[in-house]
Amino acid sequence: MAIERGIREQFDWGLFVVVCIIATIGVVNLYSATSSLAGVRGELYVQQIYWLALGSGVAVIVAAIDYKYYERYAYVGYIASIFALIAVFVLGKSIRGTHRWIQIGSFQFQPSDFVKITTAIAVAKRLSMDSHVEKWTLRDLLAPGALLAVPVLLVLAQPDLGTAMIVALVSLGVLALAKIERRTFWILLISGVLGSVFMWNFGLKAYQKDRLTSFMDADKHKLDSAYQAVQSVIAIGSGSVFGQGFMKGTQNQRHFIPDPFTDFPLAVWAQEWGLVGSLLLLACYLFLILWALNIASTAKDRFGSAVAVSCASLFFWHVIFNVGMVSQMLPVVGVTLPMFSYGGSSVLTMMIAVGLLMNVSMRRSTL
Amino acid sequence: MQITGRAGVSEFRERIRYMAVVVVLGLTVLALRMFKLQILDGDKYRREAEENILRMIYIPSTRGVIRDVRGRVIAANRPAYNVYVVPRWFMRRMDEVFPKFAEYLGLTRDERDRLEARIRGVDGRKRDQYILVRGDIDRETLAILDTHKDELPGVSVIAAPLRTYPFGTLAAHAVGYINEVSAEDLQQRPGEDYRAGDRIGRMGIERAWESILRGRRGWVRVDRDHRGLILSSREDIQRFGADRRQDPVPGRDLVLTLDMELMRATERAFSQRAYPSGAAAVVEVRTGRVLALYSRPALDPNEMTIGVSLQRLRELSDSRGLRPLVDRAIYEMYPPGSTFKPMTAIAALNAGIIDPSEQIRCVGYITRGNRRFRCAHGHIHGLVNLQSALIQSCNVYFFTAGEAARMNRIHRSAMDFGFGRRTGIGINSEAAGFIPTEEWYNRVWGSFRRGYTLNTAIGQQNTRTTVLQLALAYAALANGGTLYVPQLIERVVSPDGTTLQEFPRTVRRRIDASDTHLALIDRALRGVVADPRGTAHLVDMPEVSLAGKTGTAQVSRTLREGEDRRLAADHAWFAGFAPAENPEIAVVVLVEHGGSGGSEAAPVAAQIVRDYFMRVRPGTPIESVARANTRTQRERERQLREWRARQRRRHH
Repeated sequence: MAIERGIREQFDWGLFVVVCIIATIGVVNLYSATSSLAGVRGELYVQQIYWLALGSGVAVIVAAIDYKYYERYAYVGYIASIFALIAVFVLGKSIRGTHRWIQIGSFQFQPSDFVKITTAIAVAKRLSMDSHVEKWTLRDLLAPGALLAVPVLLVLAQPDLGTAMIVALVSLGVLALAKIERRTFWILLISGVLGSVFMWNFGLKAYQKDRLTSFMDADKHKLDSAYQAVQSVIAIGSGSVFGQGFMKGTQNQRHFIPDPFTDFPLAVWAQEWGLVGSLLLLACYLFLILWALNIASTAKDRFGSAVAVSCASLFFWHVIFNVGMVSQMLPVVGVTLPMFSYGGSSVLTMMIAVGLLMNVSMRRSTL
Repeated sequence: MQITGRAGVSEFRERIRYMAVVVVLGLTVLALRMFKLQILDGDKYRREAEENILRMIYIPSTRGVIRDVRGRVIAANRPAYNVYVVPRWFMRRMDEVFPKFAEYLGLTRDERDRLEARIRGVDGRKRDQYILVRGDIDRETLAILDTHKDELPGVSVIAAPLRTYPFGTLAAHAVGYINEVSAEDLQQRPGEDYRAGDRIGRMGIERAWESILRGRRGWVRVDRDHRGLILSSREDIQRFGADRRQDPVPGRDLVLTLDMELMRATERAFSQRAYPSGAAAVVEVRTGRVLALYSRPALDPNEMTIGVSLQRLRELSDSRGLRPLVDRAIYEMYPPGSTFKPMTAIAALNAGIIDPSEQIRCVGYITRGNRRFRCAHGHIHGLVNLQSALIQSCNVYFFTAGEAARMNRIHRSAMDFGFGRRTGIGINSEAAGFIPTEEWYNRVWGSFRRGYTLNTAIGQQNTRTTVLQLALAYAALANGGTLYVPQLIERVVSPDGTTLQEFPRTVRRRIDASDTHLALIDRALRGVVADPRGTAHLVDMPEVSLAGKTGTAQVSRTLREGEDRRLAADHAWFAGFAPAENPEIAVVVLVEHGGSGGSEAAPVAAQIVRDYFMRVRPGTPIESVARANTRTQRERERQLREWRARQRRRHH
């Protein structure tokens, strides 16, 4: 009903502008990050523009279709993405012993990125369908828990620890909307802790543990597993207040930052633009996420609200983990910075989330 | 539905507010982290970022040159070119590059395989470091590598000074050698600015005078990328200015008291008689300056400096071999044998126990307890006084004198002559030697017996001295009783040639002995050579008047199966000075397992002395050159043969 009132009036300019700012400085930064590279990798920023253009198109489509259809077909999308995850093992290319990618033509994509959204939407649907007033007990959590567990386990099996964690956290963000019984909350918390301990001792391989802990003892691992984080922190720290200037960051220009496109573009940005630049970027993300939460709280129904929360949750956790790992507060787990990092599936996923937000935003109640 | 939905959203709102708080908190933490890294720790990381792109290039200092007393170069530096490989770059195209590389270096098939295995075996972290592949390549190989350098990624030729020792093995123990610092050195010498790849003195003067010879390294800081490739040009380096560059300080030169010409003469004297092992020392009597310090066989410092394999090192230090690494002049100890008798004599004379002119009768032995103590080779000397006993080396006389003087007086006298303590030459962990006392025998052997004194009196059993100690003691006998600290370094010279420090002679002690007694001993020592009955008479020569004492150090060694019988033979000694009337140099020669001092060590000493006065110091007037003598060298050798034959007959 809302959309009929004209696209100009309903268009969410705040969302649009902040996404444009982030994406633009992302491309600018990528230009600097790749400037010292020869050949195809030197042209990555152009590809990023293509991805963003494609992503915008997808976002427009996602925004245009009324989200009640998403609610209706939420489980279909969920099951499709689960199949894609399984397909990774069958069709996928094994890169350094992991199965993460599916190749279609010259296009590689990572289904686990999309699973973050499909799972969150499925959980959102489950949540909005349930209308009972009492607090949720363990049994109520069984169904959304199962929805969550399947993709998480599949992603863990690839193995991709970082993405599995994001998939789980994004959907848990949605579940946090539900009122959960206190006893249930404690049971979940305790079993979560025990589960982590169990995973640590039996589930993780040595290299995974090493990656998870080496950031805490960086000097010892300076040359191996913590090398990336150490060099990244040097880049950030040496940026000081105003940075070393565009295309003048030594850490990037001299190739000390191992992956300046996907995981560590922030290190490039922070060295070249200093604290001013990093705070600007963080402010953009803060605005984006709060904006998304605002959309959620003014959504016209529970599903719309839950979808907006899932998008906010997606951005939030990506920002926390990426900035955390780049600044050596968290282990290096390979989580991208939304719209800022290079990468096809990442950009597309983030743009789908933007489209979803726009969708809910344009169909808000007019209270 | 609509109503439920609406109610749902409003129910969510409170939750969403909490979420907003969490989001703000979360991003605030990130912002604070950025603030900490970029502002609070900004300086530290700026420095680290700078360190990342700067590379210290060290400019080695030139090690000081070592010269002998006449300015002959003993240790110097010459440019050498070493080939290094950085495995990380090299291995990228190893299959293609390696065969060419091996060909240019002229490696054999075997060397090639070993090198390839070595490069491939370098573990991860070290793959970015320079690995030395071949040291000191010749000009031709250098030219080939330079021509083809574009085909050889990861291969670098680096020029570095190489230490060379033009005299080779000659004086190797005294001069020493250098080689690369080990991991232990780096650990044990923090703050001394040693880095992997540096050279450090390992023996002799090179080791003891390391801090003087070494100098201080310089450095330049240049731009580099993450692989360590240097980006800036020479002009940049100059532009960077003082804080990016420090010039090296070259090491200081040393002038030794050693005379390499005399060293050569010493070597010649040993080589002509083909003695496999022994030692010699020549000391200036009135200064304590060491003119020659010789140990045989010797190591080749050139070989040691380039670096020897573990197997070769084992070979060099194998206890069954001749152990060329051992410095026999100051590290190894031997019983001095009869060369010790003058000290016993001084002990007895000082105590007033013997009258030099008093005669005693030698019947070839004396009996103490149920043991017979004999004169060497079963000689019976008949009536002897102090002088004739020294000349003929009569043991019976010194048994009697020593027994009367008692063990501890002999000990005191010997210590006075500098035995039993380090001379202070300051190189090669010098041995102190040992002179026993009654207390020592009580403590270590359970009880003291009179027989021990008899053995000590003639320098046997537990008495131990070094060659250098004996030379200094004889210098003291010759110069009227002054014991000097041996001096090996004459002065320290700056690279431009100005003298920075000169070392004067240092008196260690005045020996407690009257001039009369010393003169008496000196006369007797001259008699050892000049008197026809003297044990070294066969080396009496017309050119120079030599005085001295022969000695035979008993080797009590049970031969193991298959061991050379020679190893059980006694060590031959000669200790003396020349010219006898106005002594200038003291000389000590030890021939390991040489047998008799008179026939084996004395000729070596005589030749050294003759060469010194006739060749090494030509033009120096020698007051004591005797009348022309018609005896030729050939005749001297004939006499030696006859003398040896006589000795053998007497034995049977």
